[in-house]
Amino acid sequence: MNTTKMRFIDRALGLPGAVALLCLAAVFPIFVSDSYALHFLWKILFWAVVASAWNIAGGYAGQFSLGHAAFFGIGAYASTILFVRFGVSPWWGMLVGGVLAALASVVLARLTLRLKGPFFALATIAFAEVLRIVVVNARDLTGGSQGISIPFKPALETLIFSGRTPYVYTMLILLAAVILLTFLIQRSWFGFSLLALREDEDAAETLGVDTVAMKIVATGISAFLTAIAGVLYAQYILLIEPVTVMGLDFSIQVAVISIIGGMASPVGPLLGALLMVPLSEYLRAEFGGSFQGLYLIIYGALLMVMVIFMPQGLVSAIRQPRSTWARICSISGYQRKRIRRADHA
Amino acid sequence: MLEIDRLSRAFGGLKAVNEVSFTLQRGEILGLIGPNGAGKTTLFNCVAGAIKPSSGSIRLEGAEIGGLKSHRVCRMGLGRTYQIVRPFNNLTVFDNVIVGALNRSRRMQEARLLAMDALQVTGLIPMKDMLAVNLTLPGRKRLEIARALATGPKLLLLDEVMAGLNPTEIEAAIELIRDIRKSGITVLIVEHLMRVITSVSDRIVVLHHGQKLAEGDPATVMNDPAVIEAYLGEDFLA
Repeated sequence: MNTTKMRFIDRALGLPGAVALLCLAAVFPIFVSDSYALHFLWKILFWAVVASAWNIAGGYAGQFSLGHAAFFGIGAYASTILFVRFGVSPWWGMLVGGVLAALASVVLARLTLRLKGPFFALATIAFAEVLRIVVVNARDLTGGSQGISIPFKPALETLIFSGRTPYVYTMLILLAAVILLTFLIQRSWFGFSLLALREDEDAAETLGVDTVAMKIVATGISAFLTAIAGVLYAQYILLIEPVTVMGLDFSIQVAVISIIGGMASPVGPLLGALLMVPLSEYLRAEFGGSFQGLYLIIYGALLMVMVIFMPQGLVSAIRQPRSTWARICSISGYQRKRIRRADHA
Repeated sequence: MLEIDRLSRAFGGLKAVNEVSFTLQRGEILGLIGPNGAGKTTLFNCVAGAIKPSSGSIRLEGAEIGGLKSHRVCRMGLGRTYQIVRPFNNLTVFDNVIVGALNRSRRMQEARLLAMDALQVTGLIPMKDMLAVNLTLPGRKRLEIARALATGPKLLLLDEVMAGLNPTEIEAAIELIRDIRKSGITVLIVEHLMRVITSVSDRIVVLHHGQKLAEGDPATVMNDPAVIEAYLGEDFLA
């Protein structure tokens, strides 16, 4: 494919694409008032937010974390405890939760500095699991495995609303902010340093990139944003339990959405959420009763297919449709001759 | 420019570099040679900050750099290439070089210009939008040099940049190294190919078993009996 055309698609997929998708989400509640539809939209936006936050550390900096539930849980628990026990507004909870999560991420980054690849991922799982067990056992503070339910007091100050539309808009604003931040990072020296770090740590260091600082800052930003999403989640669902907000399932889901959508791309995680949320919703509704866990099998299969055929995620299929198609053909051994021509073109 | 003073580095009981001292003058090309296992790469890594020296000092323009981390050493004006090339495969050639240029300026606009300069010098402009992974070996070697140049080094360490190149490519690479020196950058080069090192270096330092065996201009060093013995064995002494 010629470069100018690719550039054009790249740009169209970039900021304008993101803005278009966000605008679409913004007008949706004007025309649709169905409560389930709005809940569905909220879910997509929510997963897009956490996957985008993950993307900053996992996609750009290559810090493949499977422990983001820890940061999410820290945000949710910090603000909920402050709100329920001490009557502190979740707006402050966001700040406190975000800062605590960022601090936790610094500790985690320090501990895992020398770990790479699967070892890093395993260490992050362990970190989140340890934290979850602590939460389960610190019954007096956290309510143990029953969790904490949040009293329904609708107000802007409590971030609790009686309709679903305000929830959709708060999540939308957060998503827009996270995507914008990702764009700014991508275009800055910081983004370049993160990519260099992801590609080859030693080489990056040789070129003057302070890899340790970059890792810490990237995971810190990612953890902070994830914690804020945790606060919004708590104020919407009004119940937080260790299994749902700090479980491994959450961490995996976040990473999978990001991988499928396209890592190190500002809109990738949003695309991932657009595909995966409806899919998992459908699978759970259809087979939740008769075939529990089927969605996990399908997830796994889908992930494998994506990694083999579109390792750069959905974004790459839109960006370079021909080379993606050629890849699919060549791997499946189909239409050999046409692929060769595509390669030479 | 660069003063290495009684530098040692031991791995367990093995002294890979043992009390080596030499200096580099500004604008000079110094060749560092030695048989396999002589300690060239270890010495190199100590200077570049990849490993810490066990003892001794390394001063760049009077400032101690021994034991500093690589990115600090780079910030102080020392660029290096790797013997086994390490491009950022999934980035374009241009973006690879921009990463280097960001060492000098964090403003993207400026970094782009600096990167273009480095691409110009190394002749990589036609390839600038290719992914680094798609470059040929000589292309990757050039990319290594371009990235290092983009960091704005006063001293450039080249680790076997010619290995694996064919004679024409080597000729081009020698030309490139001379151009780099002309632009005012001091060069320390490690190389296996004798022809290259003797034609390009002003002076040569020979390492053997971690110690400095000889130092001087190429002709003198290559005729030094001790050097010939180290390379070829004593049977070849005339």
